[in-house]
Amino acid sequence: MELKVDTHLQQLTQILQQSWRHIRTERMKATLKIQQAACDAMRSYLKSVGFMELLPPIIGPVTDPGIRGAKQVTFDYYGREYKVMSSAILYKQAAMSGLGKIFFMSPNIRLEPIDSASSGRHLVEFVQLDLEIANATYFDAMSVAENLLCAAMNTVKDECKRELELLGRELPTFSPPFKKFTYDEVLELLRKNGMKVRYGVEIPWDAEYLISKIMDEPFFIIDYPRGARGFYDREDENRPGILRDFDLIYPEGYGEGASGAEREYRYDRVMARMRETGEDPRKYAWYLEMLREGIPPSAGFGIGVERLTRYLCGLNAVWEARLCPKVAGVYSP
Amino acid sequence: MQVSRVTLRLFLSLHRLYSIFGDLHQIWRAYPFREIIDRARRGVEAIYPADVLKPSIMTLKGADIYSRAKQFATLDELLLLPPAFTPLRLKKMSELLREPLFSDVDLRHKIGGFNAAMPVMAASMGSVHVANKISLEVARGAAKLGIPMGVGENVATTWGYSRRVKANQPCFKERVMTYLEGLEEGYGGVAIQQSVEDAYNELWNRVYSDPDIEPYLKKGMIGFEIKIGQGSKPGLGGEARLTKEDAERLRDKYHFSEDPREVSRGVIERHSAPGTYVPEILRSMVRMMRNNYPRCRVWVKLGPFRDLPDVLNTLLDEGVDAVWIDGKEGGTGMSPYASMRHLGLPLVAALCSVSEFLKSRGRLTSILASGRLFDGGHLVKCLCLGLDGVAFGRPLAVAAWAGGARGVENYLRTVEVEAKMLVSALGKYSINDLSPEDLGCLDRDIAERLGVRYVYS
Repeated sequence: MELKVDTHLQQLTQILQQSWRHIRTERMKATLKIQQAACDAMRSYLKSVGFMELLPPIIGPVTDPGIRGAKQVTFDYYGREYKVMSSAILYKQAAMSGLGKIFFMSPNIRLEPIDSASSGRHLVEFVQLDLEIANATYFDAMSVAENLLCAAMNTVKDECKRELELLGRELPTFSPPFKKFTYDEVLELLRKNGMKVRYGVEIPWDAEYLISKIMDEPFFIIDYPRGARGFYDREDENRPGILRDFDLIYPEGYGEGASGAEREYRYDRVMARMRETGEDPRKYAWYLEMLREGIPPSAGFGIGVERLTRYLCGLNAVWEARLCPKVAGVYSP
Repeated sequence: MQVSRVTLRLFLSLHRLYSIFGDLHQIWRAYPFREIIDRARRGVEAIYPADVLKPSIMTLKGADIYSRAKQFATLDELLLLPPAFTPLRLKKMSELLREPLFSDVDLRHKIGGFNAAMPVMAASMGSVHVANKISLEVARGAAKLGIPMGVGENVATTWGYSRRVKANQPCFKERVMTYLEGLEEGYGGVAIQQSVEDAYNELWNRVYSDPDIEPYLKKGMIGFEIKIGQGSKPGLGGEARLTKEDAERLRDKYHFSEDPREVSRGVIERHSAPGTYVPEILRSMVRMMRNNYPRCRVWVKLGPFRDLPDVLNTLLDEGVDAVWIDGKEGGTGMSPYASMRHLGLPLVAALCSVSEFLKSRGRLTSILASGRLFDGGHLVKCLCLGLDGVAFGRPLAVAAWAGGARGVENYLRTVEVEAKMLVSALGKYSINDLSPEDLGCLDRDIAERLGVRYVYS
């Protein structure tokens, strides 16, 4: 088993080290064409329902700490340590407080653990469409997410027939709303399928794959337990220990596509939650000061562009959806 | 006649002098003049053990805890009580087809998910320079014996992650890799602490994505350790004394009572926060670790807090791999006198809570003890109480200063042999057979709480 993974990793390394060659293949051209159509569709949908697109900040004194096991990129910024955004969550909240409904096409970097290299789902460098809605609930955010996905799928089906054919991909038509399962229900479902998951952590990759494989249309997992997510996912006041958050899961084994939540915006709650990652709240000084001044409640999510492309195109791995991809631990151009 | 009168007079004046000095001495001893004068002279610096010693014997700092604090019960209150009838020895004999010897005792044990050749751990020593300086010798010795090792807080932040920031001080990764590469296949594991300041530099994430550490992650030999307090200073954060030069380099990372650049002294105290916990935060923290580092063991180091049973319950509900309890006698190296004297439960008192806890919930996780433990007897007594092992800190540091890696190895071998002798004396050959029946206590109340016999009953 281990041997197999290692050979797979060696093959992957060989391929990635010559990634400039992919761009000349018909397969890659079709993939990128579909990606562009999907992005265009998502942009026009969001603009049609009142969102404003902003240029994303990509560096800052702090970034999102809530990324499972991945390290941030730190660099010297005139004598101080700054970070490259692992997600623009903190800036999203700032932007939302002034403009209401906003989104970024946000480039992010996460130095993922090395065992993610063979997952087919992780990139070190990727882009997410990251949006935030003032005074919204996570149900509002999920409704935007499902419409957004359908807009992208329908446009791709209409405009990229030749490319889909070349990739051998047939896309069904879905109509929202998508099904919603609570975290507890998913654990139960997994248990019935012979997979035990420890309560309190995010669904592990193999389990997520299994559940995604069982489903034949996209669905949401909602209400994760506290501890499984970053400090900015809001805890339900009536159900202590349960977060008002969600993941959008693609069917056919493609797994998680988007992740979102209602935000914790109260200063004192955020401070207590920050302790969970063992951090000194002092590190987030600007953010906490902003929260102390007060910002509106909000909800939002980020949808990974490469993962969406992988799903739309039916690709084996997410790195096939990116020019010169970077995968954990692989030194490639 | 003349002579004897002179002698008598001399004797009388000597006696008068003696009583004057004697009275003075008594007054001197009856009131802590020395301590107050020391405070008057040295100011705030005097609240810590003096720094006049050479580094090689600075490992002795705080060693006078028993004489400074009012005497409290220690593991010496307990005795191991061998029986004459030894059915388990008979069983062992039929297995070996000969009379068993003490060398037939099997000390191998699983601690916190790691395989240990004996149930001892090299305690997580941190960045304090006497400890860091001998850390590679400790790492080599611990690896040689096949016991798990901890790496304390602030090492990476103070001495560098993979490159030395100071030529004579090993960096974090040297400590970890020296240990891991020195291990015999199938044994060992390393538990890594992360202070608030290390978290700022994302130490755990860095370890988790380090290609050199990856093979050991795969084998399940890496653990991350939450530190909630330290033996002799529960409720206080880390205290260290740094040279002015080191302090200036680290001034953005730590809290210094004064700006190191504006201090003229050669040595400056560094403080770090104790960390804030409520059950919900601790629970979520463990989940966060399970979530973010699924391939790591979760270890917790606990100071001797009065709500030990509550903390243990919370940790057990979340299913941590190991809990290590440091009694008041532990970690005295850089503790203020006031905390050594006044703060926290003695180890024996903490063990009373633990044994009651084990009775009610069973052995669900590895529990270790530390705090002035240094020989095979201490180890065996803890095992009899249902613990999974002990952690040695200062003994390994002293052994390393005395004889390098070889010294650490020699020292650990003595503990190993002693433990085997004592276990075999109890007529047992596997540490899983040890139980409170093997112990007696010199104090009636402690005996009752520990669930062992009172020796005089």
